[in-house]
Amino acid sequence: MTREEQRQLKRQKEKERRRKEREAWEAARGPMDLPFLLLALLLLAIGLIMLLSASFPSAQASKGSNYDPLYYFKRQGAFAGLGLFAMFIVSKINYERFRGLARLAMIVSIVLLAVLLIPGVGITRNGATRWLGIPGAAVGQFQPTEVAKLGVIVYFAESISKKREKMRTFQEGFLPHFLLLALLAGLTLLEPHFSGALLIAGMAAAMMVVGGIHWGWIAAGVGAMLGGGYLLLFTDLMEKIGYNAARISVWRDPFGGDLATQRGDAWQVIQSLITVGSGGLLGVGLGKSRQKFMFLPEEHNDFIFAVVFEELGLVGASLIMLLFSMLIIRGFWLAIHARDRFGSLMVVGVTTQIALQTFLNIAVVTNFMPATGISLPFFSYGGTALAIQLVEVGIVLSVSRQMPAPKAG
Amino acid sequence: MANKPKRKINSARLAKLVIQRRTLALMLVFGIVSFLALFAKAYDLTINQYDEMKERASSQQMRSTVISASRGSILDRNGTVLAMSASADNIFLDPNSIQKRADELDLSRLKAMEKGLKEGESLPMSGQEYKDMIAVKLAEILGMEEEKVREKMGKTKSMYEVLKYRVEKDVSDQVREFITNNASGSSLQGVHLETDAKRYYPYSALASHVIGFLDADNHGAYGLEALYEEELEGSTGLTVTAKDGRGSEIMFQYEQYYDAEDGHSLQLTLDSTIQYYLERGIEDMISKFGAANGATGIVMDPNSAAILAIASSPNYDVNDPRAIYDSLLQSELAKVDEANPPTPDQQHSDAYMEELAKLQNLQWRNKAVNDTFEPGSTAKILTLSMALEEGTINPNSTFDCSGSITVSDATIGCSKKTGHGHQILKQAVGASCNPAFINIGLGVGIDTFYNYMEAFGLFDKTGVDLQGDVGGIFAARDKVITLDLACYAFGQNYNVTPLQLITAQSACINGGYLYTPYVVEKELDGDGNVVKQHDATPVRQVISEETSATVREMLEYVVSDGTGRNGQVAGYRIGGKTGTADKGKTGDVVVSFLCFAPADDPQVIMLITMDTPSRNTGTYVSGGNMVAPTSSAVMEDILNYLGIAPQYSDGQQSAMEATVPYMVGQTKDAAAARLKEYGFDAYRTVGDGETVTDQTPAGGAIVPTSAEIILYMGTEKSGELCKVPDVVGLAADKANKALVDAGLIMKSAGASGGGVKAISQSVEPGAEVPAGTVVTVQMGQTSTTAD
Repeated sequence: MTREEQRQLKRQKEKERRRKEREAWEAARGPMDLPFLLLALLLLAIGLIMLLSASFPSAQASKGSNYDPLYYFKRQGAFAGLGLFAMFIVSKINYERFRGLARLAMIVSIVLLAVLLIPGVGITRNGATRWLGIPGAAVGQFQPTEVAKLGVIVYFAESISKKREKMRTFQEGFLPHFLLLALLAGLTLLEPHFSGALLIAGMAAAMMVVGGIHWGWIAAGVGAMLGGGYLLLFTDLMEKIGYNAARISVWRDPFGGDLATQRGDAWQVIQSLITVGSGGLLGVGLGKSRQKFMFLPEEHNDFIFAVVFEELGLVGASLIMLLFSMLIIRGFWLAIHARDRFGSLMVVGVTTQIALQTFLNIAVVTNFMPATGISLPFFSYGGTALAIQLVEVGIVLSVSRQMPAPKAG
Repeated sequence: MANKPKRKINSARLAKLVIQRRTLALMLVFGIVSFLALFAKAYDLTINQYDEMKERASSQQMRSTVISASRGSILDRNGTVLAMSASADNIFLDPNSIQKRADELDLSRLKAMEKGLKEGESLPMSGQEYKDMIAVKLAEILGMEEEKVREKMGKTKSMYEVLKYRVEKDVSDQVREFITNNASGSSLQGVHLETDAKRYYPYSALASHVIGFLDADNHGAYGLEALYEEELEGSTGLTVTAKDGRGSEIMFQYEQYYDAEDGHSLQLTLDSTIQYYLERGIEDMISKFGAANGATGIVMDPNSAAILAIASSPNYDVNDPRAIYDSLLQSELAKVDEANPPTPDQQHSDAYMEELAKLQNLQWRNKAVNDTFEPGSTAKILTLSMALEEGTINPNSTFDCSGSITVSDATIGCSKKTGHGHQILKQAVGASCNPAFINIGLGVGIDTFYNYMEAFGLFDKTGVDLQGDVGGIFAARDKVITLDLACYAFGQNYNVTPLQLITAQSACINGGYLYTPYVVEKELDGDGNVVKQHDATPVRQVISEETSATVREMLEYVVSDGTGRNGQVAGYRIGGKTGTADKGKTGDVVVSFLCFAPADDPQVIMLITMDTPSRNTGTYVSGGNMVAPTSSAVMEDILNYLGIAPQYSDGQQSAMEATVPYMVGQTKDAAAARLKEYGFDAYRTVGDGETVTDQTPAGGAIVPTSAEIILYMGTEKSGELCKVPDVVGLAADKANKALVDAGLIMKSAGASGGGVKAISQSVEPGAEVPAGTVVTVQMGQTSTTAD
């Protein structure tokens, strides 16, 4: 090969690379998916309004919020603005670049989760060490779990997309991902943060499933879930092993306990049911909830959707659930139509996370499932979580920009 | 090698297909199925369980505060309070707290014992000592048995055991004092007071059957209190406010007020003074003649059927309705207690409790409204009225009485076995001649007779606003036989209540109008505004004004010259009718007397009945002998009270009264002239001074003008007491002489004319009273024929 030939080859390769880069750039400059964006923005707007309605009585009544009725709303609004800005930035980035961040993101996630276990480092509330940051200062505190969710999305997508048909194998497909999943979920459980672990495990599992693990594992997983759920909820196994099964018995019959139970363990569930039920078909009207006046605990947080039921009724709440449903369906639709496996898997991860959180949150609010602390995307108060959700929306939008144009006909 | 790329493409396609298929599955599960499940659950909560959740929400979000309403009063027609409410306290225990406190005390005592006592410290009292202290002290304050307090305190699961309802303020103050100041060293736990309303009945037994009483919960249990419960009670008010989870009120959320409305007061037609006269008269009558089955009395305004007074004997004390009030019934109960002695711990025997319940029901019974009786001869007024109205007789009709009459092969006797002979209508009514009235009744005929009885309202309830109003009992119209009619004509064989009877009799003398009797004149709200006013329009006109006038004339004759002469009241024209009715075959009778005044323009009508008087009093058993004298005395009081001016006929001048003038310091001639001016003819002087130094009776006293006035001319008035002579059985002039001789003044009341004798005197014979005391002597005659 002559130097000329070599130079020509080099030039050709350079040209090819530039062409590919240009192609990729151009692909990344395609339009973002408008339905998904609009649904997300709509939910965010409604979520902010409901947060204002639900939070002002307790904000006005507590010292922690300076007796400012707008306290929670203002902070959530600020984070929403920040999150939206980050979302647009992320949506402009060619998602292929995230591949390089995958390994780092996973390492950071694991380190952060592990750091929480060192006594004295994490911030403990209600017996759970879930926050990092400067103790006392509310700004700058965040949950490593939220970071870990991002880590899972990017790393699992990258790893699974590379393995292609090897995903069917046990050694290369199932085992490494399962171990990683177990590690992350295990660390989260140690905080303890049951719902966080559940979400991480759920997202990771969904990505493994979509990524092509052998259907036998899927069957085993579903079987284990059903069996475990049955043992947990419908037998007295928990009592037998000495676990405090109050949540389960409250779930079975919220109003059945004695007065102490009704005022204690069952209080939250009872108040949530009363809040939801008293809304009726059309609700008491926006802003007119009575249950938010110090009856319903966590009314601007995990139980905000109960206030939605009370104020907007079955009709209003169902419309909002319909919006969530459409967002999720659109998300999975985007995953199906993404340009490559990496994009698809990331979108599946994000969408699954939103879907799981939405379902589990509303299921708890309506006592469809035993109580556990899961926030509702776009609605529940929580700055970091909201910002990260919007970043995730940005990832989905970024993937949507590179979707091949649908074939004509 | 050629296959390799193809296989690669296939595997890439396959991987893509797997992603697409599995993502689609996730889309279905997370996007659709999960939301359908949530929707189903939410639908169940918001639609199916809406009512329950709404109820739960309201009950925790609302705070309602009860505003109590005060119960209305019951007033007589002059506004005198017969029943009123005032607040009082209930004393109750919280045995649960007492037990807790006792346990606490025991514990701290134990601790103190372990620690050892320091100088000047003493052990806290033990739990048992705490309980003992409460039991002993409360029993003492409340006047209860200690055992009873302990028994209630023993119910340690309870938090509310009432010791005593509605105690007076001085008692509740003692309890308050005990709670704050006691030997336990701190405020008592478990002894509480709550405000309640107490009902006061200032006149105790007066009109007890009309007023009635309340149960322990302050709801009407009997009488007007029960009948007008809704009106008297009022409605409690309510404030509903929204509150938050911490119990503070949410000011800008809704608030609702329901005003408390105080109960309405009832203003009755009853007049407590007339009621008193009537009850006193009946009591007096029973004490003379005994009445095995009680007595009744009704005073009415015949022109509206407003009941001015209504009484039944036995009666009860409204303030303590469960205690046996009548002394005769008390002794009956005591007899049962003697026969079945109570157990050592004061538990009465079952027989006693049974008897007690029986007697309670007896004394609560308003016989004048609840019980029917065979009216006897007073019902002849009805027969007379209808026959005159129908024209089957007229005042000139004549009747022959041989002492008995035969109807449908049955012989019915007259009260006078020898017969009344030939008589005109007025005489037949005056003598209460049975055969004459049987003929009158038969002359009217069954059908017309029944029509009139129905028109007089005797088949129906009267419609009075009193409890337990019942209708009369008659043979079915299509089964009546002539013999029944013959008996009906003189008031036997059918049953009516005293109230029904006097209502019908009112119609006979008031111009023919039948009214609905009533006791509640108006209903007043809390501010005294009239809410409801009785409308006294007649139900119907039964007989004409002319017939009614004739009936009044006939009945006036009964009192002036007939069987009702003992019912006379000096100075007034009285109409009336006596009655002595057989009670089946027992030989017992119900004696009665109906009277009204003034006879030409009736303002008051009164019916008094007495069931089963004693046959051993020496007085011949008849309405004229036993009831009419009482009626006369009561009627005289009523007429004076109502301000109906007396008009004395010549023969009644002796009964006139005047005020004795002050004459001290005057000469004898001046005093005599003054006495004459005041209507006194007779006087005598004692001593021979120039001027009057003293007089008997004292100036200002109201005495009969026939009284002899004693003027002391310088001589000291003797302080000696005069012994009252027995004048019963004497004629008026002899009685007067006996009393004047004794230094007393006689006031005659009741009948006058030939054959009239004193039948009772207001001061017992043998009593020693100051000279010049007025002794009222009831005049009358004791006939030996029934009426």
